[in-house]
Amino acid sequence: MSEEKTEKKEEWKPRLVAYVCNWCTYGGADLAGTSRLTYDTSVRAIKLPCTGRIDPLFIIKAFERGADGVLISGCHPGDCHYNTGNYHARRRWTTFRSLLDFSGIDMRRLHFSWISAAEAGKWVEVINEVSTNLKELGPYKEFKAITEKKEEYDRVFAQ
Amino acid sequence: MSVNQLSEDAFYNLIDDLNSKGTTVVAPVRNEVGMVQYEKVTSSKDNFAFDEVIGRYSPKDAFFPQHETVLRYREGENGVEVKAEEPEINDTVLLGIRPCDAAAMISLNKVFTWDYIDNLFTERRKKAVIISIACNEADESCYCTSVGFAPDGKEGSDLLFSKIKGGGYLAEALTDEGETFIANNSTCFSKKDKSVELEPIAEVTDLGVNIEHIKRWLDKKENFEHKVWDDLAAKCVGCGGCTFVCPTCHCFDLVDEPYGDQGKRVKNWDGCQFDHFTLHASGHNPREHQPQRWRNRFHCKFKIYPDRFEKKGCVGCGRCIRVCPVNLDITEAMIEITAMES
Amino acid sequence: MIESLRSKSKELLENGTVSLVIGYAEGSKKGKTKPFFAYSSEDCDKLTFSPQCVNNLTIYLTRKFTFMKKGKVAIVAKGCDVKTINVLIQENQLKRDDVIILGMSCDGVVGKDIVHDGEQLPDENKSIKCLTCDVKTPIDYDHLFGEEIKSEALEPMTGGIYDAVKEVKAMSWSDRWKYWMDHFERCIKCYACKKVCPLCYCDVCITEKSRPQWIETSAHARGNYAWNIKRAMDLAGRCTFCGECDRSCPAEIPLNIINQELAMTVYDSFENYTAGYQTDVTPPFVSFKEEDKEDFIK
Ligand code: SF4
Ligand code: SF4
Ligand code: SF4
Ligand code: SF4
Ligand code: SF4
Ligand code: FES
Repeated sequence: MSEEKTEKKEEWKPRLVAYVCNWCTYGGADLAGTSRLTYDTSVRAIKLPCTGRIDPLFIIKAFERGADGVLISGCHPGDCHYNTGNYHARRRWTTFRSLLDFSGIDMRRLHFSWISAAEAGKWVEVINEVSTNLKELGPYKEFKAITEKKEEYDRVFAQ
Repeated sequence: MSVNQLSEDAFYNLIDDLNSKGTTVVAPVRNEVGMVQYEKVTSSKDNFAFDEVIGRYSPKDAFFPQHETVLRYREGENGVEVKAEEPEINDTVLLGIRPCDAAAMISLNKVFTWDYIDNLFTERRKKAVIISIACNEADESCYCTSVGFAPDGKEGSDLLFSKIKGGGYLAEALTDEGETFIANNSTCFSKKDKSVELEPIAEVTDLGVNIEHIKRWLDKKENFEHKVWDDLAAKCVGCGGCTFVCPTCHCFDLVDEPYGDQGKRVKNWDGCQFDHFTLHASGHNPREHQPQRWRNRFHCKFKIYPDRFEKKGCVGCGRCIRVCPVNLDITEAMIEITAMES
Repeated sequence: MIESLRSKSKELLENGTVSLVIGYAEGSKKGKTKPFFAYSSEDCDKLTFSPQCVNNLTIYLTRKFTFMKKGKVAIVAKGCDVKTINVLIQENQLKRDDVIILGMSCDGVVGKDIVHDGEQLPDENKSIKCLTCDVKTPIDYDHLFGEEIKSEALEPMTGGIYDAVKEVKAMSWSDRWKYWMDHFERCIKCYACKKVCPLCYCDVCITEKSRPQWIETSAHARGNYAWNIKRAMDLAGRCTFCGECDRSCPAEIPLNIINQELAMTVYDSFENYTAGYQTDVTPPFVSFKEEDKEDFIK
């Protein structure tokens, strides 16, 4: 019984949604790929023009669709392709993070980073670290209590 | 039809009995933030509020939930599969709603059985017994008597309970379903005591309006653009408050909630006070400004309902007055229009 | 106070300074007043002011209500309402010259669901916003009615609603989740909260964006969470704590608590910024400092 359990735990893989900007972090992830670096496959990267384009609702949407963790990543301050997108985004995240925390989101599941197009190593590091943390935490059951479940559909359609 | 009686204890035993038979009991309860709502109750020890003038929302939710799934779809091996939702509909007793709300259920029923039979609504209604409690108290917003109803009105109820001085209720069966209900729960009821004295029925403000005159005024084409609409409703902020709390408001929206390659079609309450309600795909909105939307609400209650369903659209529960953040009081329009038409 | 308000309003209408005075009149029920539009001198006799004047009338200055205004208007405004006017000016929704502010000195209005007759209003009957009010005499006006009321020096972000915020903050995250889920569960998606808010003035609201449907229209836990969080976030650094959303919510969701958490965060994070006090500074979310804190970013 306990063996079965540990086996199951190993099988389960978290879903980490990473919203990344096109010019820096996506470049970094790309470089990691072309350099044949390996990193945890829990991540689903979603490319956006700039961190300034990441609406707070994107985070909520990710959790609504079953994410166990979310990462937001873009250019280092001063490096934004659009000059100030990430400065504005930073203010927004400061506030939104606090609001999510206040609303009872598990903050161990929400991460932010600056990763440049040259920092393939940092991308690997951040993804691995966040994924390992999420594996320890397990599925985000609090939020999943309000998401749609595939099993429910299976049951209804089997009738 | 029979008249029986039940003691205070029997009344609460009834709740437990029904629950133990597996019947769903919906009754007014005070929730954790102090509002009175009609909710499913499971024990006679719940936080009941049978003496509250009226619940914040109407009990229409029991037949016409604010949100429900009507079908599901998903992409399977053989293309898209669609499956109508078949919710389990339990025997239900609405216990302790007010006579105005019971009357409103007749109007609602008319809408949901008009050109299309809405099974979700009608099945729930068929499986329900409505037990109203006559009002011993009314507040400033109540005006049932001005629109042809009464605090001890019988329309729409299967049974009417009236409070007996010193405790307990007189139980008057009004329909066959009501009689059957008493027969099925006979242990809780006893023969009517000759000497019972009832608590006095609430006195409800008489607005001095005439809904026939109001209808006649609304029927006149030229009044559609009358300045009274702007005068009264320019301040309306278009929150849907009044429509959502109203027992006869029935508009809903069907929306798809996709979820990857599967999804649901859901039925959600909608309301004519929302700017989006009449917005066309072209971008044109025939009800461009809020007073026009409010005019629609008024027409719906006093003209469209009687014309199309031969029923009253307003039962005078007063909820729309209580909820409105800008004190837009429907009775002011009723009074003004009555005056213009007399 | 009421007499001088009426005569000033008449004067403004008669000499053509304004075409409309937005004020309060006696309501239809006991203990209620209502928003009232005075277009003529006779109308002005209906104007009133009392602790029952809870509405923030500045909603009628926004573009949601363009259809009823022609030219310059005068508006009856309490100190807290003037803060909203300031934000509207700051956000280019209004020019100071477009409006004559009939400022009311005010020692508090009644709280939600409280019926209170008479003038003297004890603290327990007051709206929670009044307990920490520092604008009992409005900070801007064209004409002031009533005696100036000195606001006591207050410890910022302390007392009243701020203490209520701190109480929620002190819970564990999972308790907070439960706390808000219990509240949001009651939301009926009537959208009264956005409709009464003078600072929710977008022509098309995110709730109406259906391709994709960003905020599910269903009043289920998921849709309600997204809606309440998004609404609050869009008011961050802008909300002036007029309390209208909280007052209008039929489901008794403590919207003040969520809004003021944001106000506190903005105050702590962006150089003690508070909305509604200045019209000539750039709002916090359209500006930044290179040295803004980023201790949460890897
Ligand atoms: S219109 Fe108002 S008073 Fe009439 S039934 Fe609806 S909520 Fe009640
Ligand atoms: S009449 Fe009142 S409750 Fe109804 S939409 Fe207008 S403001 Fe809201
Ligand atoms: S917050 Fe201040 S100005 Fe506003 S109503 Fe309360 S006391 Fe009056
Ligand atoms: S006013 Fe309250 S119930 Fe209505 S949508 Fe807003 S939070 Fe929900
Ligand atoms: S969010 Fe609420 S308290 Fe803040 S300005 Fe809008 S209505 Fe007023
Ligand atoms: S382009 Fe990378 S943060 Fe703006």
